Amino acid sequence: MTDAAAPSSSAERRSPLIGNRVLLTLVVVCLLGVGLLPFASMAPNRLVSGQSMSTWAAFAPWQLVTLAGLLALLALASFAHLMPRRPGHAVALAAALALLALDFVALGGYAHRALADASPAARVSQGSAFWVLLFAAGLIMIDALQRLRPPPVWRALYAATALTLVGVCFATDLLSPLSIMREFANQRDNFVDQLTRHLALVAGALVPALVVGLPLGLLARRRPGARNVLFSVLNVFQTLPSIAVFGLLIAPLAALAAALPWLREVGVGGIGAAPALIALVLYSLLPIVRNTYAGLAGVAPGTLEAARGMGMTARQILWRVEIPLALPVILSGLRIVTVQAIGLTVVAALIGAGGLGAFIFQGLGQYAIDLVLLGAIPTIVLAVVADFTLQLLVALSRPTRAGQG
Amino acid sequence: MIELQGLTKRYAGKTVVDDITLTFETGEFAVLIGPSGCGKSTTLKMINRLIPASGGRITLGGEDVAALPVEQLRRRIGYAIQSTGLFPHWSVARNVATVPQLLKWPRSRIDDRVDELLAMFHLDPTTFRDKLPHQLSGGQAQRVGVARALAADPEVLLMDEPFGAVDPITREVLQTEMRRVHQQTGKTIVFVTHDMDEALSLATRIALLNDGKLVQYERPVEMMVEPADDFVREFIGQADLGLKLLSRRWVHQYQRPPSVAPRDALPEPGSHWWMIDDAGRPTALAGARLDDEDAVTRVKAEWTATPEMSMKEALSRMVWYRVMVLPVVDESGQLIAEVGMQGVMGIERGPGANASSTRAAGNGALSDNDGGDPA
Amino acid sequence: MSGARTLHRLRAASAGSGVLIALCGLLIALTLGMAQLEPLFRALFPSVSNPLYTRDSYLNLMLAHIGLVVVSSLISVGIGIAAGLFVTRPAGREFEPMVSSLAAVGQTFPPAAVLAIAVPLAGFGFAPTIIALSLYGLLPVIQNTITGLDTVPETTREAARGNGMSAWQILWRIELPLAMRVIVAGVRVSVIINIGTATIGSTVGAKSLGTPLIAGLVSNNLAYVIQGALLVGLLAIVADLAFERLERRFTFGG
Repeated sequence: MTDAAAPSSSAERRSPLIGNRVLLTLVVVCLLGVGLLPFASMAPNRLVSGQSMSTWAAFAPWQLVTLAGLLALLALASFAHLMPRRPGHAVALAAALALLALDFVALGGYAHRALADASPAARVSQGSAFWVLLFAAGLIMIDALQRLRPPPVWRALYAATALTLVGVCFATDLLSPLSIMREFANQRDNFVDQLTRHLALVAGALVPALVVGLPLGLLARRRPGARNVLFSVLNVFQTLPSIAVFGLLIAPLAALAAALPWLREVGVGGIGAAPALIALVLYSLLPIVRNTYAGLAGVAPGTLEAARGMGMTARQILWRVEIPLALPVILSGLRIVTVQAIGLTVVAALIGAGGLGAFIFQGLGQYAIDLVLLGAIPTIVLAVVADFTLQLLVALSRPTRAGQG
Repeated sequence: MIELQGLTKRYAGKTVVDDITLTFETGEFAVLIGPSGCGKSTTLKMINRLIPASGGRITLGGEDVAALPVEQLRRRIGYAIQSTGLFPHWSVARNVATVPQLLKWPRSRIDDRVDELLAMFHLDPTTFRDKLPHQLSGGQAQRVGVARALAADPEVLLMDEPFGAVDPITREVLQTEMRRVHQQTGKTIVFVTHDMDEALSLATRIALLNDGKLVQYERPVEMMVEPADDFVREFIGQADLGLKLLSRRWVHQYQRPPSVAPRDALPEPGSHWWMIDDAGRPTALAGARLDDEDAVTRVKAEWTATPEMSMKEALSRMVWYRVMVLPVVDESGQLIAEVGMQGVMGIERGPGANASSTRAAGNGALSDNDGGDPA
Repeated sequence: MSGARTLHRLRAASAGSGVLIALCGLLIALTLGMAQLEPLFRALFPSVSNPLYTRDSYLNLMLAHIGLVVVSSLISVGIGIAAGLFVTRPAGREFEPMVSSLAAVGQTFPPAAVLAIAVPLAGFGFAPTIIALSLYGLLPVIQNTITGLDTVPETTREAARGNGMSAWQILWRIELPLAMRVIVAGVRVSVIINIGTATIGSTVGAKSLGTPLIAGLVSNNLAYVIQGALLVGLLAIVADLAFERLERRFTFGG
């Protein structure tokens, strides 16, 4: 290719009127959400469904003005001829942060006001407009960061600011009258227990999966015959619905525990942690084995030949060349299984293994939505945080990261 | 005929094609050449409007291309690119049939046309029609790519470094085929390459671009003999100018009637003759060896010449096989002529250097035999 | 289609089709004939008084399960491919980074949590399950549509344009067929996940093969658990094998 520097011509032809159509779309989504959806709901007690409160009713007047101002600012930033690009993105970043804060402050403020002279049983819950504003603020941040491409330090600083802001909202008294926070206060000890249990199950599954999976991946690399058998068996396993595997493990484990009393004494039984751990390990094997194999297979033949040519032994080649080069791919495998295990552990609550899923299914059984959210939201946060952290690890493990942007 | 008038292309303030004006005559095999980033591909792609021009005008047979509906324009212009761009999910036949199908030709006409084109590129239709692109060798895929570009009998054929991805030997074979196809079809071809040897072997006219500007638009030999400036001289390369000149001369221009031996006779010293079999094929050469004047040498296929061969290649064979003359054979292998060192040395440099050859300069653009009659 | 190509495909197909047909037969036989296995379950679980789930026929449960998956998958595929197409066209390119990151982040959400969150939005029953399954299934379809279209080589696209194809013709004749294998792989992922999540759908009140399974877990009736688990497991394997075959049909070149 000689003069392939030609960029796609469509970018040139696009009308310059709207500089950022993503941002404009998100502003419209905010407006629709605020206009059409309830921001909060209030119920006289936990059992009856609440009465919807529109944004107009729930926001204090100054909050409404601020909201209108922020949305207008964001709309301005999306028009190229009204605001230059880079300052526009910076304005969007700042406004999104303010929108995020406003969302929480308005919800907390409404809850405080509404419950001031209500019965102690009364409850205030967040409505869909709250979620719309929250997600829109998040997406505006992501979009602006993707466009602005600030240095990693600034990016991290910005993320930390946003997280601190949310943390402050939760740490102070602001959100405490909310129904879900009351639920949390009631369940505080139990919540910590189940969260610990959830994490313990995940860790308890990952460690054996790594211990078994890494050598199996190496085996698959060295023995092509073993590879096909291994992958087809693990692949079938990966296909099975988790609840089916949990269920199918119960009967044999129960029989085993009945036959061998010492097993029962160490906690193995048809229900509980044992079938959950076994199933989680089995589910985790395929991604670990596959990524270990793929990572090792991805090492360039020339590199291996050079290593051999310089007189390295097979063991030295494995530890000094193959594993360091395969590490990013192996770690992406670990990322996949960690996120997957966090999700599967939710389902394990159905067979009595505990964890955050216990809140979800207990809540579903009692039609206690706050309890459901108390289980669901932390698991989602857990999964996203684990994903993000491991992604960072993958990026750091790239041997050539200095050269890549 | 394609005319570019003040053609200009700017990207983000940078001018990559700068006010180019030139005419590709009907039947011309024009090669656009220049260093990386000189704007040659961009110029080519503005002709079929894959890249919109920022300024200037292109006419195709007198019609402004900007005024034609873009898909219709492209269906009138064949287009072949590097690594062929064959559609991997379509058979060879369907690939070749792309434009005829878009033009809604009747089925039978498409089938006939596909077979005709495959045969033209020496691809047996019964073998190749149903193959998928990944089952082809690099050279075969390139032939299919060119066949596809020719399918709807376009007025013009644009080729963007079509042989850039194949090995040197295949590339040479493809170039020979391209020359033949050009002569057979008489199409106007605009061809982009960065390889001067490829340009010299194919072009009837070379347009040398540098930094978005047209430096010289000239016939190959004239460009070698009278470079417009130092850039052209440097780009062509000085060291092997003589050999490059030979690469533009063809055996048929310098061949002469062969001296065929009466049976069992030996040539006189200083002369030579050919022995032929009953079918008229050369079997041996008596005399004309560099090292041993009286030797009788068995004729091998490796050192026979064909009329279409370049004189550069003929010279190379003479040097390598240490013979002063090569037999020139036709397709059936019959001896039709011979070409020797005298022919090589008799080559004129061109109109500027040799007054006797100027009369030949008016020959048609197609033949490019500006060397005049062979001795 | 050529003889050689057909033969090649037939050979590749016949290798897997035996297993697929056998498993399909087993699935149908178990669905229709679970009642005939009652003595077996009685022998296996002597302590259980009622070892066969009878509140609903397994055929009904299977159809309900398949219905949930098919309806939600159709929604996912329709919206997912449309969204993937939109963000890969010039008009929607600007939305591509956003949509890609959403699809990537969304897939880290545990499916069970997404199902649970659908309840406050849509109540109990069929609706939240369909919403959760469609939303979750959307993500791999979008992601793979984008990936599949992005893997069409630029030279191929340019060749298509250079040969005078219109944007629609390029999309329908070149881009979609070439991207189809990757898109089908995305649909496969989303269907397999949805078969599993539909099982849990019974906890929010949608009838599925999870109904006997979870009823069994609640009432400690292992026979129910095994009946439900066997059927749903088989269903997943059959669906996976069928999609593997479908993917192979869209593989061109080696």
